[in-house]
Amino acid sequence: MTIATASLVDVLVGATTDVFETMVFRQLVPGVTAWGHATRPKSQIVGTVGFAGSSTGLVAFHLSIAAARDMTVAMLGIELDEDGLPDAVGEVTNMIAGAFRTRMAAFQDAWAISVPTVTVGSDFYIKPISTGDRVIVAFAMDTHQLFVELIITPNADAAA
Amino acid sequence: MRFLIVDDSSTMRRIIINTLTKLGYESFLEAGNGREGLDRLGAGQVDLVITDWNMPEMNGIDFVRNLRSTPQGKSVPVLMVTTNAANADVAEALKAGVNNYVVKPFTAETLKEKINAVASHA
Repeated sequence: MTIATASLVDVLVGATTDVFETMVFRQLVPGVTAWGHATRPKSQIVGTVGFAGSSTGLVAFHLSIAAARDMTVAMLGIELDEDGLPDAVGEVTNMIAGAFRTRMAAFQDAWAISVPTVTVGSDFYIKPISTGDRVIVAFAMDTHQLFVELIITPNADAAA
Repeated sequence: MRFLIVDDSSTMRRIIINTLTKLGYESFLEAGNGREGLDRLGAGQVDLVITDWNMPEMNGIDFVRNLRSTPQGKSVPVLMVTTNAANADVAEALKAGVNNYVVKPFTAETLKEKINAVASHA
């Protein structure tokens, strides 16, 4: 059994909101979902976790520095300086990707995931070289907008 | 009860310490990878180890294998907190000497249950 493409969003949204409710102690409100490569979310700090197995791709978590600060205060009870924010964003990205991976395993989609990488800056975008699906889901956390992006290509060898 | 928390993410160490503090625990040692964890263990009494899996220099599985070969780490309870949730991952961790397993994200209640479970078998 493979998961229908449209349901990927439900799994991704479920994984993301679960991480925020359980570990960040904030409710996320899912917003617009955009498919394809045209959407480039505005952000200043991006965590990415790659995965490979029966599907290949990455999960990226985009947010502003202000959102990262508020998320960190909610999660840790302390304010981190800009040097400390990448570790917090990387850990949240790691948990989102891990929760997504765990839920996808129920559909016999089994992957290994990488350690998180965090990029700080604003004048860049992620350009996949694969031809797989790409979807970006917007979330509201209080007054902040956050984005979780999924780029996924089913592995033809695994599906055969 | 004194905990040794081994995780390369300072954020996750802080989350675990905050959660344990809420549960009423007060004494913690920290290490950023398995090698540091072994050093910390050699420096003083530790009652329960909480370790990540994916870490640089020495990962959680190699850390637990090494831990189990030392006199002071042979019988200390070990809880693994990780995103690796596949059955094969859990089996590998248990085989290495981990006593119980917590999948991230986790609640304080889950952590408490797992601590009680491993501590009761110590």
